[in-house]
Amino acid sequence: MSKWLVLYKKEWLEIIRSYKLIWVPLVFILLGAMQPVTTYFLPEILANAGNLPNGTVIKIPTPHASDVLAQTLQQFSTLGLLVVALSFMGTLSGERISGMASMILVKPVSYLSFISSKWAAMLSLALLSFTAGYGAAWYYTVSLFQSVNSQWVIRSFIIFAFWLVFVGTLTIWFSSLLRSAAAAAFSALAVAAVFALTASLLPNLFQWSPGNLPQLALAQLTGQSSKEIWPSLGITALLTAGLVIGAAWILRRRPASDAV
Amino acid sequence: MTQIFGATKAVNDISFTMDEGRCAALLGPNGAGKTTTIRMLAGLLAPTSGRIHFRGLPQVADRRQLIGYLPQVPAFYGWMTGREFLIHAGRLCGLSGKEAASRSMEWLERVGIAEAGKRRIAGYSGGMKQRLGLAQALIHRPKLLILDEPVSALDPIGRREVMGLLRDLKQETTILFSTHVLHDAEELCDDVLIMKAGHIAISGQIQDIRYQYRKPVLFLDTEGDPESRQWLNQWLKQPAQGIQSYEVLPSGSGVKLIVDEINIARQTVLEQLLAANVQVTRLEVGYTTLEDLFMEAVSGA
Repeated sequence: MSKWLVLYKKEWLEIIRSYKLIWVPLVFILLGAMQPVTTYFLPEILANAGNLPNGTVIKIPTPHASDVLAQTLQQFSTLGLLVVALSFMGTLSGERISGMASMILVKPVSYLSFISSKWAAMLSLALLSFTAGYGAAWYYTVSLFQSVNSQWVIRSFIIFAFWLVFVGTLTIWFSSLLRSAAAAAFSALAVAAVFALTASLLPNLFQWSPGNLPQLALAQLTGQSSKEIWPSLGITALLTAGLVIGAAWILRRRPASDAV
Repeated sequence: MTQIFGATKAVNDISFTMDEGRCAALLGPNGAGKTTTIRMLAGLLAPTSGRIHFRGLPQVADRRQLIGYLPQVPAFYGWMTGREFLIHAGRLCGLSGKEAASRSMEWLERVGIAEAGKRRIAGYSGGMKQRLGLAQALIHRPKLLILDEPVSALDPIGRREVMGLLRDLKQETTILFSTHVLHDAEELCDDVLIMKAGHIAISGQIQDIRYQYRKPVLFLDTEGDPESRQWLNQWLKQPAQGIQSYEVLPSGSGVKLIVDEINIARQTVLEQLLAANVQVTRLEVGYTTLEDLFMEAVSGA
C-alpha cells in the first residue's frame, strides 16, 4: 500500500509539473461557464452583430434553466471527453516506449499498482475538473436563469462522472495496448462513440450499456425517475475495473515495448 | 532459457550459473542475444521456456527484490530532480522515506553527481544519466547487479569513471554486465560468457579460458621484397606440417601461423626459410590472445 501511495504521489507530481492541474480544469470551467453565459447573452450578441437591418426584433424564448445545464453536459460529452482522452493518452504507451516502464517494473512493484496508481490519478484529475466545470455551469445558470433542483443536478453529475471516468479508463487501457498515444486517444473516443451510438439507436438492447449514461444524466435534469440508473452504473463500474485489471495483465505479458 | 520472437530464436536454449560475489561479462557481437538474455534475467521478458533460479537464498516471491538493473539507455522522468528520482526508486524497493532520502544522498555522492542532485534530470548529460542509472539500480543493495552495455554510450573519460566505479562495486555485490568490447570484460571480470547467435559459445573463468584455448602462434615477417612475397605465396599454398591455419598480416609481407606443436613448427619453418634464403625481419613465437579467441568464437562457423 505504501508503494502504491508512492506511485500515486509521483503521478500527482507529474500532473502538477506538466501543468495539467491548471489547464485541464481550466478547459472544463471554460466549457461549463460559456454555455449559460452565451445562451443568456445570445439576443444581445445577435443584435450587435451589425448585419441586421434596423428595427429587427429578435425574440428568443428564454430557455429553461435545466435545459441550459443539459446543453452544458452535451458540451462535456464531446469536448470534455476529448480533453480527458488527450491528457491521458500517453500515460502508459509513452512510458513503455521511452523505457521508463522497464526502469520502474524491474523494481518490486506490482503491475496492478503501477496501472491503478495511474488510473487513480486520472480519476482524481477528471473528477476535479468536471466538478469545477459543472460547478461553474451550475453557478452561472442559477445566477442568470433560475435555480435548478439541486438533487437533480447532483444526480446528473454523478451519472455523467461515471461516463467520463469510463472513457478515461478506456484511454488508459488502449494506452497499454497500443504503441502510439494518438491511436490510443482515437480508439478510446471511437469506442465511446460506438457505445453512445448503440445505446441511442437500440435503446432496448443496450439499456444498461455505459453508452446510455449520457442520456440518463440528461434525463435526471428533468427529474425523471432514478430507478433504471443502477444497472447502468453497476455495469460501468464493473467494466472500468475489468479494464484496469486487463491493462495490468497486458503489461505483465509485455512490460516494456522499447527496443529489445 | 529460450526466447522466441515470432520466427526468430533470439536466445536458443542457453544455460549458465553465476556464483555469488563474482563479476561476469556477457560478451558477444550485436544481435547475439545479450540484451534479450539480460531482460529475461531482469524479469522484463518471460522466457518462452526455461527458468531462472536463485540458489541458497531464502525463497522470495519476487525475484526483482534481489536485482538491480540498468538498461542500455536508461530512461528517467525528466521533470524530476536526480535526488527525487533516487528517492522514488528507493521507496519503490520498499525503503522507508527516511532511509530512501539518506541513501539517495549517499549514492549521489558516491557516483559523483551530488551537486547536480537538485537539478531536473532533463538537463543531465549522458554520463550523468548513466551514473544516476547506476545509483538507482543500487539503492536497495541488490544481490545481483545487471548492467546492459553500461559504458557503450560514454566518451572515454566517462567510460573510465564508470569502470572505476564498477571495480569498487565488485567488492560489494555480484555483477553481470554485457558488452561487445572484449577489453572491458578483461579489465573487470572474473568470468566471461561469450554469446553468438543465441548460443553460449564459450563460458568460464577468464584465466581458465585464456589458458585452455590458447594456441601457439608464429609471426613471420619479411622485408616485403618481390622475391620474399613470391616465396610466401608459394609456400602458403602448401603449408608445412603442423600448421593449423594462417592469416596474412595486413601489410601483405608477413603471415601469422597458428600451429599445433611449436617446437616442430619452429624447426621446419626455420629450415625452409634458410633453404629459400628469404629476407626475414621478424620471427616471433607467442600465443593467441583472448581477442583471437573472441573473434574466432563469434565469427567462426
